[in-house]
Amino acid sequence: MKAKKVVSLLCASAMAVSMLAGCGGGGGSEASGTSEAKESAAGAEDSAGSGAAPAASGEAYNHEAIENAGDITITMMVSGVASDNDFETEQLPALVKEKWPNVTLEVTKLPDDNYYTSLKTKLASGECPDIILAQPMYAGSNACYALADAGYLAPLNDLDALGNMKDLAAVTYDNNVVVCTAGVSILGTYYNKAIFDECGITAEPATWDEFLDACQKIKDKGYQPIVMGDKDMYVLQFGLYQIACNEIYAKNAEYDDQLRTGDTKFTDEGTWDTVLSMYNELYEKGYIDASQTLGLGASQAITEFVDGKAAMTFDGSFNATALLAEGSAGAFERGYFPIPSASGDTCTATCLSAGYSIYSGSQYIDECKELLDYWFDGSSDVWKAYLATGKIIATYGEGADSSPNYELFAPFVELLNQGKAYHWCNQAWPAGTESTMEELFSEMVGGQGTTVEDITSGMQDKFEDLLDE
Amino acid sequence: MANEPKKKRKGANTSLVFNNRMYYFLIPALAMFLILWVYPVLQLFYYSITDFNGINYDFDFVGFKNYFKIFENGTLINSIGNTLSYAVVTVILSNLIGLGIAMALNTKIHFKGLFRTCAYFPALFSAIVVGFIWTYVYMPSSGMIANLLSMFGLDGTAFNPLGNFRTALFAIAIVEVWKAFGSTMIIYLAGLQTVDESLLEAGRIDGCTEWQLTRLVKLPLISSTITINVILNVIAGLKAFDYSFIMTNGGPGKSTKTLMFQIYEIAFDDQKMGRASAFSVVSFFVIILITVFMLYFMNKREVEL
Repeated sequence: MKAKKVVSLLCASAMAVSMLAGCGGGGGSEASGTSEAKESAAGAEDSAGSGAAPAASGEAYNHEAIENAGDITITMMVSGVASDNDFETEQLPALVKEKWPNVTLEVTKLPDDNYYTSLKTKLASGECPDIILAQPMYAGSNACYALADAGYLAPLNDLDALGNMKDLAAVTYDNNVVVCTAGVSILGTYYNKAIFDECGITAEPATWDEFLDACQKIKDKGYQPIVMGDKDMYVLQFGLYQIACNEIYAKNAEYDDQLRTGDTKFTDEGTWDTVLSMYNELYEKGYIDASQTLGLGASQAITEFVDGKAAMTFDGSFNATALLAEGSAGAFERGYFPIPSASGDTCTATCLSAGYSIYSGSQYIDECKELLDYWFDGSSDVWKAYLATGKIIATYGEGADSSPNYELFAPFVELLNQGKAYHWCNQAWPAGTESTMEELFSEMVGGQGTTVEDITSGMQDKFEDLLDE
Repeated sequence: MANEPKKKRKGANTSLVFNNRMYYFLIPALAMFLILWVYPVLQLFYYSITDFNGINYDFDFVGFKNYFKIFENGTLINSIGNTLSYAVVTVILSNLIGLGIAMALNTKIHFKGLFRTCAYFPALFSAIVVGFIWTYVYMPSSGMIANLLSMFGLDGTAFNPLGNFRTALFAIAIVEVWKAFGSTMIIYLAGLQTVDESLLEAGRIDGCTEWQLTRLVKLPLISSTITINVILNVIAGLKAFDYSFIMTNGGPGKSTKTLMFQIYEIAFDDQKMGRASAFSVVSFFVIILITVFMLYFMNKREVEL
């Protein structure tokens, strides 16, 4: 009996100790990781906060940090799928080694979902890589605003490369630039020029009515005007955000900021009701066939487009390679234009693309800054290799205007330079608002009796719910 | 008196094989169980009363607000409804098909091994591969089924099971059945092979038809196998996530959002880890309740049979 009691006591102690160890360990690592990160961020914030403009802030980082560091290993984690001779995992470490033989850059590339999970785990345990990929504003699980708010991102105000970059508001949190990004991403309408010619459409539509006329002409010729992979509901954003730029942001650029203060609402007349109605018109008139597209995935829709089965599709610059590929319809000529506004004064949904941030708990912050400055200087070997991937649309630097597919994107960059470009809506919303919009819109076009008013009030409810903490 | 041998206490462990010292060997396994299972589950309860967003550890306690919220906006009811429908379809079809094929492949036929292998083949693929293949099988207009329908003169363009609010859930449940019936069949085969041939012979001598032999001899004798298969399928059905995620992303609308998918969405899209934890706690109890009820019901049936 006594032995049993001793064993049960031991078991109980083991349980208590393991639980306490678990709690203590979690708390400890959390405390060490997070507080270290926060202290570091706070320290950096202090040094950056004094400058009037972020890029011209008083204290500069040590530009000789790498040269004086001895042999070091800098870690980096990005999302995506590594390809042959991948830029991040193969070319970049080799080029960095060539420039600084004492630096080993270890890059981990993970598929998106794995990346988000891994990032959260590493941040929570204080084991985050030195350089990470972050999204502008509130977009996604690696949104720079959320990461900066938690104190995980080091301010980059003293990077020399920032002087080259376009409006960095979308990656600036609390007066600190927290992401280094040189490129933009575009949403637009890819179209098949051969079908346009066959239907007698000689120019890209300049107004919404002209766009509808073009769709009708294509439909009359027996082609499907627009194909979308609505089974993957996120593609609804590709069209809706373009219309939102024209019909909402062009009239009130502060609309999303005001949503947070309560000065505007999704339910306001002439805002999202207009956007949703305009997009729904494409379904009602059969220009997008919901009976087909609701069962079609995003990649299947791309295949339909390159196979010449539809004249247009709304998609992003990030899918250009797939959309410009040769399908069963051969190598027909393709064009790209923004969905025109009702008034004809068209804007574009062109925003800063994801970029690179430095973990505030890193012991190599200055070294990482020196590396990023070299990478994004607009002329280095790393910069040229980065541009040659064709994955970014650079707004500055050598080779920006000769990068792959630049001609296709040039009109959008021009609109950006004219100040007629706005962020993608979901970047300014708490993550999840767009999912409600997509669900309800799918219900509407799928004949479930959902109305535009249901969608706008659903979006408003979700928005308020997500902000309510 | 002093030299009198010590009396053994009543109930003392005198086993030479499993003495008290053996309990020490439980400690590593127990520690792993506590650290890797009990502690995370307790943490789930802990996070469910916070507003943790998965990133910022500077979170607050919000009491039972997360629980009220999931009941408030109807997401829980919708996902429970979808999950139950999915589970019912997969349990019934998996077991009927699995049992039918197991009985067929338990007879003396040529190429029995080959057929058994073929029937089990889908179970070898990962859900990702199966889901991806089936999106092309179901693809509207140019998918495999649509093409077959067109070949037979039917309207293949109208076939769009994943794009239809009424059929999408059943379409993905069929994929689950296609992948899972092989495993169910293997368990039934094992059960059927335990049925004593002499009982079947006795039945035949008494003039039983094959149907009577199946209904009155084989099925009662494999009732525990039926229980195992039904319970395993119920649990798998209630934990459905893969095909909603891979094939429909919860859509169209909310029509294929299961409990697990909803939890994933709240945690990783909405970044409401606290609310997702509350959802998980509720789901945990829903699944436990249903499983216990099923186990009770099936055991009772076993006794009756």
